[in-house]
Amino acid sequence: MQKIISAIVADIGKVLLGKEHQVKLALACLLARGHLLIEDLPGMGKTTLAHALAQVLGLSYKRVQFTSDMLPADILGVSIFERESGQFRFHEGPVFSQLLLADEINRSSPKTQSALLEAMEERQVSIDGETRPLPEPFFVIATQNPLQQSGTFVLPESQLDRFLMRISLGYPTRDAERALFQGVDPRAQLAQIKPRINTEGLRKLQSLVGQVKASDSLLDYLERLVQHTRQSPECGVGLSPRGALALLHAARAWALIHNRGHLLPEDLQAVLPSVAGHRLQSDGTDGTQLVERMMHQVDIIAA
Amino acid sequence: MSAATSQLQSLLPRESLLWIFAAQLVVLLPHTMHLPIWLLGAWAVAVYWRLEVFRGRRETPGRLAKLVAVSLVVAGLVLTYRRWFALEPMVALLAVSFTLKNIELVSRRDALLSLMLAYFLAATLFVFEQTIPYALYGIVCVVIITAALVAQQGRGSARPGRALGLSTKLLAQSVPVMLVLFVVIPRLGPLWAVPQNTKAASTGISDSMSPGDFSELSKSDKPALRISFDGALPPPEQRYWRGLVYTHFDGRRWSEPGAADGYPRWGRGRSNRRPFGDTSGDDRALPAVGPRYRYQIIQEASHNPWLFALARPNSETRGVRETGDDTLVYRTPVGTRLAYDVRSWPRESVGEGEVLSGSEQRRHLQLPASGNPRARAWAKARFEEGMDGEAISGALLSLYNRNFTYTLKPPALGADTVDEFLFTTRQGFCEHFASSYVFTMRAAGVPARVVAGYQGGEWVDQQGYLLVRQYDAHAWAEIWLPGRGWVRVDPTASVAPERIRDGLQSAAAEEFMQDAFLPLHKIAFVTRLRLQWDMINYRWYQTVVSFDNERQEGILRRLLGEISPLRMALFMGVPMVAALLLLLLWLKLSGRGPSLPVASRLYLRFCRRMARAGLPRNPGEAPGDYARRIERELPRLGPMAVRITRAYEKAAYGSDMLAEKQLRRLVRGFWPLRHTRQAQAQT
Repeated sequence: MQKIISAIVADIGKVLLGKEHQVKLALACLLARGHLLIEDLPGMGKTTLAHALAQVLGLSYKRVQFTSDMLPADILGVSIFERESGQFRFHEGPVFSQLLLADEINRSSPKTQSALLEAMEERQVSIDGETRPLPEPFFVIATQNPLQQSGTFVLPESQLDRFLMRISLGYPTRDAERALFQGVDPRAQLAQIKPRINTEGLRKLQSLVGQVKASDSLLDYLERLVQHTRQSPECGVGLSPRGALALLHAARAWALIHNRGHLLPEDLQAVLPSVAGHRLQSDGTDGTQLVERMMHQVDIIAA
Repeated sequence: MSAATSQLQSLLPRESLLWIFAAQLVVLLPHTMHLPIWLLGAWAVAVYWRLEVFRGRRETPGRLAKLVAVSLVVAGLVLTYRRWFALEPMVALLAVSFTLKNIELVSRRDALLSLMLAYFLAATLFVFEQTIPYALYGIVCVVIITAALVAQQGRGSARPGRALGLSTKLLAQSVPVMLVLFVVIPRLGPLWAVPQNTKAASTGISDSMSPGDFSELSKSDKPALRISFDGALPPPEQRYWRGLVYTHFDGRRWSEPGAADGYPRWGRGRSNRRPFGDTSGDDRALPAVGPRYRYQIIQEASHNPWLFALARPNSETRGVRETGDDTLVYRTPVGTRLAYDVRSWPRESVGEGEVLSGSEQRRHLQLPASGNPRARAWAKARFEEGMDGEAISGALLSLYNRNFTYTLKPPALGADTVDEFLFTTRQGFCEHFASSYVFTMRAAGVPARVVAGYQGGEWVDQQGYLLVRQYDAHAWAEIWLPGRGWVRVDPTASVAPERIRDGLQSAAAEEFMQDAFLPLHKIAFVTRLRLQWDMINYRWYQTVVSFDNERQEGILRRLLGEISPLRMALFMGVPMVAALLLLLLWLKLSGRGPSLPVASRLYLRFCRRMARAGLPRNPGEAPGDYARRIERELPRLGPMAVRITRAYEKAAYGSDMLAEKQLRRLVRGFWPLRHTRQAQAQT
């Protein structure tokens, strides 16, 4: 099992050079059955990461480029009257895939955004009074450009909460970029990636996440972290119970990726900025900075 | 402008004002019993004005308005009292200034000042009354004033529940301190004497006795004395609490010149005069033998100087002295409850060989020049028959015994009161008997005097004291017999012996308390309840109000062995330090939260040792990261740190018991300082 995981990470690493941490976070997010929000400037490899993940995990992959004139039906699908059969037939939208890349989600209108976000939460779509389940596993990677861009609709906090993690890729290191210049075109590499795991295997991995043990000492630490977000005057809004659970679950996936049967404080710390960063935004301050500061303040071992 | 804004910011909010007014009202209300009622009116006007200012309908009063208000009020005080240096005008002055402060109640500072004054004013209440209801009311006052102080903090603190709750909590916390201070604070005598109001109507036995006085007293069931005994209890027929001796008779009224002033002149009687409070220079030898009664009397306020005791009393209480008439007086009229200790030697055991001086003889034979001819004639006849004093007394008593009736409602008497009583109406009350008896004895040439006081009392078994009420007031007689001295004769006893034995209630069952608005004394339950209440009052007075220097010393001596500054300091300091330490401990314990698991404690020990070696762990640093840092910065300790960290991670996060044991072993052997030193020595 561990071999598969490291192979997956290595495979993606070939396409997305020098971003092992982010790749692992994305993988952990997927294993924890969460959705991922990637926030970065154009051209940093957001799409590549999504595509590579789909390839290596053997998932059906669709990509939607969000625009401001998009309607919910463009994502969810639509019933069309077919003349030959004389009845309506439902044409599935791009949402009916195992991995959906929602590119530049903040470009579309809130109406469309919320249609997708609802599907993410319910893992099913209701159209024309009929409920259709989405494929399993269902994993959305949404990307958005940094918030202060014109012509965008900012995702509200309640909808940001739907994403388990928010990460940003950032510029590659010098070495990685040099390797990129020297090496083969990543797109060509992408085509060569073979699936390392099937849907069944992925489901098994996901179920293993829940079995990672969290000791009392660790839960104490988690509690202290959560309490800190609720009591510290820096944070506008504290971490909700759902946020705390998300943190624990993501940390478990992270521990699984690192081949551990139990959680360590490092696991929590590793996923904390991605999991809590977008949930803790308080006036003006970036949530990620808050989290970094919090990690230094909250003692791991004792209060 | 800036001044205006700063004033606006410091303006009192509505809740604060209302709280202050509530506290003021609570404090002022009971004072209306002693102080002029118009004070409350003045207060209401001041409050109204202040509220109008708050609503913005009126300006804060200017200098002229204030001046007018002050002069009005001062004039009112002057007109009400007409003198300054007494207690009540002073308290009234305080209350007035407190009241007037309202119209310039602007800032928080003023609010605090007013509330502090309220505490003071609440305390002055106890100058007038020290009973349980007042004490309870005082507590209520303090709670409300403190709540008003709490309400000044703003931000929702003015909500009634919260303010009162916090105030109650604060005061409850201060109770132990209060108790310690109550015991420890030195009881200083008053630094200056403020004259009490002497206009207050005196109650109980007055300095003169005319027909009808005692039947008035018999209508009151208010307590007069509470007497507790140390040792033997006198039998009921011996319980004569002598208060006052009347020697002068003007044909209708018996009186004692100088009695009301506490006998300022001492030109007569036995020369046992001694300075107040001086107990050493006692020139009268106290009999060493004989039944002696030791008792403490708690006397209700009577506004008269005389005290009550059995015959031949001796008291060592400050301010109490004996008179030539074998009674006790206090240096001032008794304005509040007074407790005094007395020892008595009943006359029967002593008195031989005493001689009545000439002036005393004349005093005790004094009669008006004319009047009551029949009584005089009767006495003269007995005297001429050759009877001595004892025989005449016996004849007179048997006369009473045969023909007379004891009643609380005797018919009215004309000019010759004694004659009419002895030969016509023959119905009377103790004062009639005593008066006619003494008159007749004097007419027969036997020195005699009327004694007024209380007789009997109800024994309260639960608390062990004798409760003497106003209706136990009694008058009897004493005659001088050569060789025996003054002998008590109670003419009432020969008519109504049950009066002496069982008290007034059984002697005058029908007439007893007939005029009472509600005949409560006939309901046993109410009577019992009243007795209970009296017992509580007695306890209260015994333990709280009469807690003086002497008792304080007694308690401290019992607690400490001896009273020295060192022991006092220890007595006060040790509990305080102990309490503070407990508080500190509690704060520490409660601040630490649940105790840490073993593995974490071991790991923290490791961290402390590492810190001593110069590399402390940051709070947010995960054990793994810390181990890596140690490896990087102190490579010598690196391997060990890594092993300990692994063991800790397994123990704390993997719930591995073996790893915990390993961790314990590893940490025990881990001494980074020694390690580095050895390493340095090797290099």
